Amino acid sequence: MALMVGQLKVDSVDRAEVLRYLGHRGQEVTPELETRLAESVARCLEVARPRACLRAFDVAERTVSETGVPELRLAECALRLEGTSIAEHLAGAVAVGVMAVTLGVGVDQELRRLSLTDPLGQVLFDAAATAAIERAADAAEALLVADAAARGLYTNWRFSPGYGDLPLSCQPTLLAALDAQRRLGVTLTPSLLMVPTKSVTAVVGYFEVPQKGARPGCSACNLRDWCTLRRAGTPCTGGAKE
Amino acid sequence: MSSDPKSWVTPQGHRAVRTLRVKDEHLSRVLAGKDFLLFDGAMGTQLQARGLAAGEVPELLCLTNPDQIREIHASYVAAGSEVVTTNTFGANAMKLGEAATVEQIFDAAISCARASGARYVAADIGPTGALLQPMGTLAFDEAYELFAQQVRAADAAGADLFIIETMADLAEAKAALLAVKENSDLPAFVTMTFDEDGRTFLGTTPEVAAVTLSALGADVLGINCSLGPEDVAPLIERMLPWASCPVMAQANAGLPHVHEGKTYYSIKPLEYSHAVKRMVRAGVSIIGGCCGTSPEFIAQEKNLLVDRTPAGRALNSHFTVTSAQQLVALAPGEVGVIGERINPTGKKRLKEALRSGNHDYVMSEAINQANAGAQILDVNAGLPEIDEKATLVRLVSELSGVTTLPLQIDSADPEAIEAAVRAYPGKALINSCNGKQEMLETVLPIAKHYGCAIVGLTLDEDGIPPTAEGRLAVARKIVAAADALGIPRQDVVIDCLTMAASTDQTQPREIIEAVRLVKRELPGVRTVLGVSNVSFGMPYRMLVNATFLTACFGAGLDLAIVNPLSERYQDAYAAWRALTGEDVNAQAYIETYAGRTDGVVATASGAAAAPAVGGSVGAKAPATAEERIRDLVLTGRKEAVPEEVRTLVGDDDASHDVMYAINEVLIPALDEVGERFEKGTFFLPQLMASAEAAKAGFNVLRELSAGSGMESKGTIALATVKGDIHDIGKNIVRMLLENYGYDVIDLGRDVDPQLVADTVVEHHIKLAGLSALMTTTVPAMAETIQLLHVQAPWCKVIVGGAVLNPEYAEMVGADYYAKDAAESARIAGEVLG
Repeated sequence: MALMVGQLKVDSVDRAEVLRYLGHRGQEVTPELETRLAESVARCLEVARPRACLRAFDVAERTVSETGVPELRLAECALRLEGTSIAEHLAGAVAVGVMAVTLGVGVDQELRRLSLTDPLGQVLFDAAATAAIERAADAAEALLVADAAARGLYTNWRFSPGYGDLPLSCQPTLLAALDAQRRLGVTLTPSLLMVPTKSVTAVVGYFEVPQKGARPGCSACNLRDWCTLRRAGTPCTGGAKE
Repeated sequence: MSSDPKSWVTPQGHRAVRTLRVKDEHLSRVLAGKDFLLFDGAMGTQLQARGLAAGEVPELLCLTNPDQIREIHASYVAAGSEVVTTNTFGANAMKLGEAATVEQIFDAAISCARASGARYVAADIGPTGALLQPMGTLAFDEAYELFAQQVRAADAAGADLFIIETMADLAEAKAALLAVKENSDLPAFVTMTFDEDGRTFLGTTPEVAAVTLSALGADVLGINCSLGPEDVAPLIERMLPWASCPVMAQANAGLPHVHEGKTYYSIKPLEYSHAVKRMVRAGVSIIGGCCGTSPEFIAQEKNLLVDRTPAGRALNSHFTVTSAQQLVALAPGEVGVIGERINPTGKKRLKEALRSGNHDYVMSEAINQANAGAQILDVNAGLPEIDEKATLVRLVSELSGVTTLPLQIDSADPEAIEAAVRAYPGKALINSCNGKQEMLETVLPIAKHYGCAIVGLTLDEDGIPPTAEGRLAVARKIVAAADALGIPRQDVVIDCLTMAASTDQTQPREIIEAVRLVKRELPGVRTVLGVSNVSFGMPYRMLVNATFLTACFGAGLDLAIVNPLSERYQDAYAAWRALTGEDVNAQAYIETYAGRTDGVVATASGAAAAPAVGGSVGAKAPATAEERIRDLVLTGRKEAVPEEVRTLVGDDDASHDVMYAINEVLIPALDEVGERFEKGTFFLPQLMASAEAAKAGFNVLRELSAGSGMESKGTIALATVKGDIHDIGKNIVRMLLENYGYDVIDLGRDVDPQLVADTVVEHHIKLAGLSALMTTTVPAMAETIQLLHVQAPWCKVIVGGAVLNPEYAEMVGADYYAKDAAESARIAGEVLG
């Protein structure tokens, strides 16, 4: 797959997940709060412009640095994936799907507006936006699953810089490889934080055999709402339809 | 001082009038809109086709493989490009890092371009790669410096013009354009990139971009990248009537797609040039290509231009101002409203807000005025005891965060005006200049250089002329100077200065006559009046104000500076627009006023809110005001709190005082909320809703005590550390601390350690709170604490944030660790009492 850019359809978020981000553990949710929560979610879905850039690269070689850190190199791509965790995650992978997803800076503009006017509103909106970016990342990941399937390959799950020992320092090259600033407006601060803040980058391994535990089956899969394989009756689990 | 306007400079020393260095007659004609100019197509696409790996830095190829770059340029020249664009899109010091210097890259890149035999070499300047404040962490001045370095390098290396391109942020485009204007005399072309919904990633529309950039002095402006030419065409058509310079288009070849491992773009050369033809017919005179285009596309575009001359264009003559996201445009004869509320003169609460640096109240004033129909907001921070320049700059940035209305920068200090408009992401209105020679020479250059509209007061060294003719004479002087600087007439707004009828009853007629004269004698110029002064000293002022306003509209007044929340003003404005037909078929008037009678007007706004008080408490309402307030705080219902607090405090001697309400009612309720949060019976939103409810009560008490009865329990400085932009946790802490009666100085996010230390020293603050969300910013926290320990050893430091824990907190040198906002309040109590 070469560069793919697209808008993602995220038209709902899971209320329970938003509450979880708010630290909810069974406390009473008053009608007033319920209303405000619903308003925040609606506003978030209104201002968010979920978009993604995706591209798959073949694995070129696996090496070990002088300090003993595993390093994975990709064909036709300057990105190097360093660390033990990513080496394990991509062990046996023949290609790597690279993705960047964002809700757009409109969400940050709204968060800033709320930070100046409505602290509770900011907290609720932030939780809604966090749930929404995860949904958008699921939607983008589903596209990689489909891309892999088109090549007769199977994926595992998305792994982001900052997880395990995969350093954030790979972010500039990862974003550049996807032309993410021009295509999505995703930028980095000097401390390597992404702005828009509701953005996700990740890599997904492409494998020749189904990955154990990678997908829990369609009914429990986060990607199900966007999965073209499930719709086509050819789920990525390789086995029977669910 | 020289009286030749061409030599006037801004307070920072920038020349108002720029003399361009233009390479030849053809380029002069291009800049005058008389000749076409053909640019080149994509560089990146060509490099990728030649094996550039994804994520590699393409600019370095100028050094490592100059032949390849020259070859690509030459292929475009062979296809007909008159201009080639240097391979320097990302060549700024921040992106290049250690790999090469900016000068090395521009030297090499311009050599490559020159060697292709192109007629003109355009030095390419792309976005910095970082987002500017307030959304990102890059300061406007830092972005400017990155661009300025590129500009100086490119000029020295022999570029013929600049192309600032693929800008999504109007503030960043402005920084780049200012960098060209202030460091080179070569022409500046500026293009921005738009999304399917017709806005840039940061929300700028084509109209806003065209108005702002042409006012700012772009020599050419337009659109690049974005979409295919079919989709760019309607966007460029929206730009054309607002751009006072030639317009250019460099669209993508549609969207990339893949076939057998190779990337293709959806649009072919012939189809592309066909779509470009539509734009050329509409008035675009400079064309080329962006991502996915190749020399074949340029060859087709060359054919397109054969035997054609640029189409004539009709430009709008509206008065315009913009924010980054909104255009306010008044056609000749249309009237507009400027909200006057953000001005401390005679406003106690606003003064207090500006002095304390807690701008919540200012923000609420902005939102209320916007909701009441203001189209522009006046911003004045003129208080003798504060740093007006710094406050104005901060207010402008914060206001841009809460409203999309364009701003009127209101100050008597030219340096403050320049600082505020320089980084303002839009076309501001400056209030004001006047007929004094000194003001003409300092403020008009600011308006010209930064592309602002300007209010000119009809007063000069001899004061305010008493007659209409006298005022017109001053207006003539101001307009003549503005003309000489090349400020368009519709950007000049004359204020004939309202005087009180109670001191001189001849004045209202003179003012109305002055408006009429200015409009008649100085065609194109607009007028503005601050209306409410006319009724000074009279009873029932709003009636006098509205009557005067209507009379002034009749004389040709364009803009009124008023309190937009006053219903009488709204009535006069709405009725006037219905009478003149600006409100077509009086539709808006009928919608608002159908069924309205004078009897309703007086009580309408108060009546709507009233039932909620009794209603929400309901049948099982607790007996005493104390209990009811506690109940409201605990359930987080803020609407009814003010009324209950007023009931509690009352105004007769038997009533409880303010301190009682705070210490015996509000604080205990908040403590109870804190306990419930601690136990897990409440979760975060409930804690905050309760804090909001309590805050509504504190606000009433502050009003009632008029500042005297409420003692601050101490001041706390809060900041999210340098490099970190996640400020939610800090905002929650701030809210809670304020509601416990502490004064909080909120330094915001991405705060420099030195600023924290300076603030703590200046106010002798005993407790500072720092937050960090990411592991990458924890070192900045340690650095800040270290600095505080050295420069303000008396100050205790409390830290919090997702990545912290007690051990980590100790490691960075903090005195306290707070796991949540409630704990911060407890620690504050321990430290400050």
